[in-house]
Amino acid sequence: MSSADMDVTKHKTFLIDTTKCTGCRGCQVACKQWNQLKAEKTVFFSGEGYQNPPAMTEHTFTRIKFRDYEKNGQNEFAFYKEMCMHCNEPACASVCPVGAFVKSPEGPVIYNASRCIGCRFCMIACPFGIPKYEWSKAFPLVKKCTGCYSRIKEGLEPACATACPTAITYGSREEMIKEAERRLKNRPQRYFQAIYGKEEAGGTSILYLTHQPLDELGFKKVTTRPLPSYTWQALRLVPGIFLTMGGGLSLLSWFNHRKERIRQEEGFKNSKVQPEKKDEMKGDNQ
Amino acid sequence: MTAAKIIINEIKGYHRFLQFMIALVVIGALASMVRFIFGLGVTTNLNDTYPWGLWISFDVVTAVPLAAGAFTLGAIVHCFHIKKLEPLVRPAIVTGFLGYSLVCIGLLLDLGQPQRGWHTMVYWNVHSPMFEVSMCVMAYTTVLFLEFLSPVCEKFGYHMPLRVLRWLEMPLVIAAASISTLHQSSLGTFFLIAVDKLHNLWYNPLLPLQFWMSAIFTGISIIILEATMVHRYLGQPDESELLEILAKILPWVLAVYLAVKVGAVAFLTHGSLFDRPGLLALFAAEVLIGVIIPMLMFMKQSNREDSRMQLRGAGMVIFGVILNRFNVSMFGMIQPDQVIYYPSVTESLVTIGIIAGHILFFVLLAKYFPIFEHHPETVDYSMPDHFHATEAHEHDQGKGVEA
Repeated sequence: MSSADMDVTKHKTFLIDTTKCTGCRGCQVACKQWNQLKAEKTVFFSGEGYQNPPAMTEHTFTRIKFRDYEKNGQNEFAFYKEMCMHCNEPACASVCPVGAFVKSPEGPVIYNASRCIGCRFCMIACPFGIPKYEWSKAFPLVKKCTGCYSRIKEGLEPACATACPTAITYGSREEMIKEAERRLKNRPQRYFQAIYGKEEAGGTSILYLTHQPLDELGFKKVTTRPLPSYTWQALRLVPGIFLTMGGGLSLLSWFNHRKERIRQEEGFKNSKVQPEKKDEMKGDNQ
Repeated sequence: MTAAKIIINEIKGYHRFLQFMIALVVIGALASMVRFIFGLGVTTNLNDTYPWGLWISFDVVTAVPLAAGAFTLGAIVHCFHIKKLEPLVRPAIVTGFLGYSLVCIGLLLDLGQPQRGWHTMVYWNVHSPMFEVSMCVMAYTTVLFLEFLSPVCEKFGYHMPLRVLRWLEMPLVIAAASISTLHQSSLGTFFLIAVDKLHNLWYNPLLPLQFWMSAIFTGISIIILEATMVHRYLGQPDESELLEILAKILPWVLAVYLAVKVGAVAFLTHGSLFDRPGLLALFAAEVLIGVIIPMLMFMKQSNREDSRMQLRGAGMVIFGVILNRFNVSMFGMIQPDQVIYYPSVTESLVTIGIIAGHILFFVLLAKYFPIFEHHPETVDYSMPDHFHATEAHEHDQGKGVEA
């Protein structure tokens, strides 16, 4: 489960250059087509800003978010693509009691629906709020972006990356980081000097380049420490605590019971010896 | 037909309160069936923003410490050897067993795929606090069931199993305390993954330790509450002299807990503590009502002796821990711009049904099984000691003859 032994640099990684995104939403359509996801009924401005659907759901694994801003007195749009970040050390995989989420050796974090018990801990744990639930069903499962695992297994690129005319580059994490750094260096005025996803949540298989500062675009500020380590620092103590607690209490009760037993035996001895003597005395008297 | 009639007649003879409880349980059961027919989304107010609601916050995260009386008292009586308190043990075990059984039911209702609950036993993920807790809850429910078998065997006069159970008593008590330590604390570990989600007032690496310690003082308080209620409404003898011993332990545990909590909040949190007035008020209420006031109360001898003050103090501790668990699992997780969650009618009815079920089954068990008749021993069941003592005795006799 832990990806510590995996070679992260070879993981298939998206480099999403939001400065090149035109907001065509071809990725959204391609995602729906490949994953056979139901269309959602949408109306304008039902959520924040221009984006639609208003939120990621069980039917929407990715969507383009819109941000208005002013440049040289003119209204401009900035876009960014919301999707599963496919963390190097995924929180969802670490908290899942049955190991339904796995970081695949290729890169995508994949979900084994046949294992899932539907506890929704992954939804609590994900720092990016990605896993969604089939709320309409009586026996729901979790849904999220698969990183098009079925496609990359066949040597294809993910549906959204294939459909994107401008912004998505797809390749090994090592190469994508190199490419991102090259762009940041070559066009410093075009880019905000950060690669979102390089360090976030311990590193992810999605890397973003932006023009605006990250928080202005709506990127969540996320810890750079891998999330599983937060719970593991407590959970790793479990066997030790169990043995200490069990051993300590056993010793304590053994000690206390021994004291009690010795006291009882003394009492028993004295009380049982006495009547015999009395009998003898009685005999003597007779 | 006749069996049904007997049952109906029996129920007709119950007190009105019990009949009301039965009604609540039936309504709760119906409401939980509605969840399986129409789905979680329609029947609950849960959604992708609030994947966990009342059922997790109360039925699991709060109900587990509320059922902690059994392991706490078991350890106090059998390991720390305060034998005086033994009359309180069996009712505490019944409360614990009922509590954990209902936790299992609540958890299964909340799961999307309850029929796959056994998956946790097959597909292990030791990195998951949920795995840890579900294994522990299953193990501990089994332990409580075995402990609960004693009054059942006594009722039906099964002597052989009773001997085995008596022989298992100590191992079970120690297993109960160790397993409880693990899952009570792991419930706190749940929320360590919620980095940047759970507010700084509650998020710190010592959360598991705090959960465990608060389970101990909640367990003690629940025993005080339960014994007082049983005395008032079930006509059992007044145990307030025994409860005084518990009231004496309570302020110590509360004080250590308070020290850990204050220390953790002061030194182990990153970021602002005072940015959300609402949460700050909840935090203050939890600490003041649930910890500081009862601690000060029970530091005074006269309060510890007074049965009414015992009940009040225990009640405040219990209120405090319920608030604490809701703060951690629900209120503290709400982001500033989020819609507020409130439980739907179905969710509430199920939870009310579970609480009513607990009270109902406790009263019924007390009615039909020897819960309060403390070990009505006509037979000496203490196997190992018995043989040992007799042997020693005979040996002594022999010596006496020789001499």
